[in-house]
Amino acid sequence: MDWTEKYRPSSLSELRGNNKARDKLQEWAETWDEHRKAVVLHGSPGVGKTSAAHALANDMNWPTIELNASDSRTKDVIERVAGEAAKSGTLTAGGGGRRIVILDEADNIHGNADRGGSRAVTSLVKEASQPMVLIANEFYDMSNGLRNACEDIEFRDVSKRSIVPVLRDLCRKEDIEFETEALERIAEMNSGDLRGAVKDLQALADGKDRIVADDVVTGERDTTQGVFDYLDTVIKKAGPEEALKASYDVDETPDDLINWIEDNMPKDYEGEELAVAYDFLANADKWLGRVRATQNYSYWRYAGDNMTAGVAAARRGEKGGWTRYGPPSYWSKLGRSRGTRNKRDYVARKIAAHHGVSMATARREIMPHLAVMTHHCKNRDLTVAMTARYDLDAEHVSFVTGSGKDTNKVQSIVEDAEERKAELAVEHSGGAFEGATAGETSVEGDEDEDEASEEQAQVTLGDSEAAEEDDDEPSPEERADEATDDDQQSGLGDFV
Amino acid sequence: MFNAIVSADTLRTTLDSVSVLVDECKIHLNEDGIEIRAVDPANVGMVDLSLSAEAFESYETDGGLIGVNLSRLEDIAGMAGSDQLVHLELDEETRKLHIQIDGLEYTLALIDPDSIRQEPDLPDLDLPANVVIEGRDIDRAVKAADMVSDHIALGVDDADELFYVDAEGDTDDVHFELDREDLIDLTPGNARSLFSLDYLKDMNKAIPKDAEVSMELGEEFPVKMHFDIAEGQGKVTFMLAPRIQSD
Repeated sequence: MDWTEKYRPSSLSELRGNNKARDKLQEWAETWDEHRKAVVLHGSPGVGKTSAAHALANDMNWPTIELNASDSRTKDVIERVAGEAAKSGTLTAGGGGRRIVILDEADNIHGNADRGGSRAVTSLVKEASQPMVLIANEFYDMSNGLRNACEDIEFRDVSKRSIVPVLRDLCRKEDIEFETEALERIAEMNSGDLRGAVKDLQALADGKDRIVADDVVTGERDTTQGVFDYLDTVIKKAGPEEALKASYDVDETPDDLINWIEDNMPKDYEGEELAVAYDFLANADKWLGRVRATQNYSYWRYAGDNMTAGVAAARRGEKGGWTRYGPPSYWSKLGRSRGTRNKRDYVARKIAAHHGVSMATARREIMPHLAVMTHHCKNRDLTVAMTARYDLDAEHVSFVTGSGKDTNKVQSIVEDAEERKAELAVEHSGGAFEGATAGETSVEGDEDEDEASEEQAQVTLGDSEAAEEDDDEPSPEERADEATDDDQQSGLGDFV
Repeated sequence: MFNAIVSADTLRTTLDSVSVLVDECKIHLNEDGIEIRAVDPANVGMVDLSLSAEAFESYETDGGLIGVNLSRLEDIAGMAGSDQLVHLELDEETRKLHIQIDGLEYTLALIDPDSIRQEPDLPDLDLPANVVIEGRDIDRAVKAADMVSDHIALGVDDADELFYVDAEGDTDDVHFELDREDLIDLTPGNARSLFSLDYLKDMNKAIPKDAEVSMELGEEFPVKMHFDIAEGQGKVTFMLAPRIQSD
């Protein structure tokens, strides 16, 4: 049996290490009736957060409801299970009964399986009428709203000094002889991670009744470095080589890391070093682009070199003090500008399709001119023509011209463009539907006035095509006539 | 060993009253009938059900415990017409349940009972008020309350000797009361508790409209609802923890 389960503390008093956090948690629980806030326990893996929460529940005699990462944690599930649990009394004691809701890995509620989950947790934390404990590795991976709604208790890494006695106790309980040095080595290897140490001990002791120092293989667990600590390293302290090597322990891909560095580096760099650092970041970005284009991920190393070692090498002089680093704004900016980008791309796609150019060309070389020509819809005819030509909606017209989308001006332009389009359709049909219904002809008659002015506009924008239409129109008829003539009348050449 | 024949109707009613709370449950096979006790994942609603051997057309067992996926079993039971018989037989070797409905045979893989949530202890509560009410009156109350709110207060007025239901919405309110005349029986006592309508709605689905439901109530205490199924051969108790009244 797993020793970490077997010897999981059943009371807070049995919890090892983190006495301060333990006392704070106890105090939180005892005064819960007064403050009624949820609590977040955060810290590295294996330091006893989950154990503390369960031990607390045990001490207070509170039944527990637990939702962890292996459950699907969509909005629905959270509201139904945790929500109901957090708002209801207990079956045994009714409205006065307490129960504790434990949400493990609260920093990891995302992805498709947990859609809407983190928002549901935030609102739940605010209206819960039962104590809630959230457990997280990275406090800052949780949303701001969630962090502010909770008290937080940090669990620090368990020191080697506290790990050794735990291991010693376990050996005694399991009747295993040991050399103190062996236990010290295990503790050393698992710097800070009590659960890791216990697991290592169990693995070593499996099938033996004595462990000696030489049994302990000095392999190290990979640890991850928090990205905030890493930013401090790369921006303030480390030389190029150290900065590069430290980046291997950071749990971010180069795509994300470059945004972290790019957003935070200017908070400390200035002047020449800033320019040099940006140069390196630009280089790194080129390599990331090459990775995307070729799907050759070995280029990541050059991106990594540039963004870590390069930025560290650009530093001039000493940096010190504390800087408030924040998460990259790149993604939130992208999110906020999505609407605008969609509009831009829509217009560009239409222009590209009409003039046989690429979207990039349409965007870079045609749209700026259009924007100037139709600025604030001053040239109204032209704007109507553009709208009709490219099949634009009010939002697109307002995007190109810079006029408000809801203004009467833009609305009337879109309406005129609709009429214009209808007319063009009739024109382009080459008279195929002429006289089909009485209604259609009368509509045409009404709009004769507009037609003249719009025709002008039409010429300025799409003159080539309009001219073509004019030339083409009679020709099929003529050719058809010729063909029928041919059938009835033989040519002279037939007799030669 | 377990070998039983039961009418599809009885089987469905039994399963329905459990499946409103949980997806999986343990079924105790006793010599005098089956027993199911389950609590929902949030620990808010609980069901305690017993169906005596007399409710079956034939019933043989030497005891045992099986874990089933309720929605699967319900689907299978749904294949039978209401007057058809369902034959259940447990294969001890493969831990599978053979289900026969006329020519249709379904082999249902069982779930390891240890992997199912632990069964709750039956809390021993002394609730002051007791109301015996028709299932259709509960249905009316729940339906009316559902129009305005997501929670509902059930209470007994000690002085006026009446049972009442209150639902307060953001804009609209519902009040529903039944006096001694309207009820089958009433033991007055001061009681009022708030409950989640989601749960009551689900429980209401499982309560037959013509059943006599005995409802025990207290001040901010869980409600207990007892009623019979399968013509008195089965007994169901629902228990629901109260909402905490935030003020």
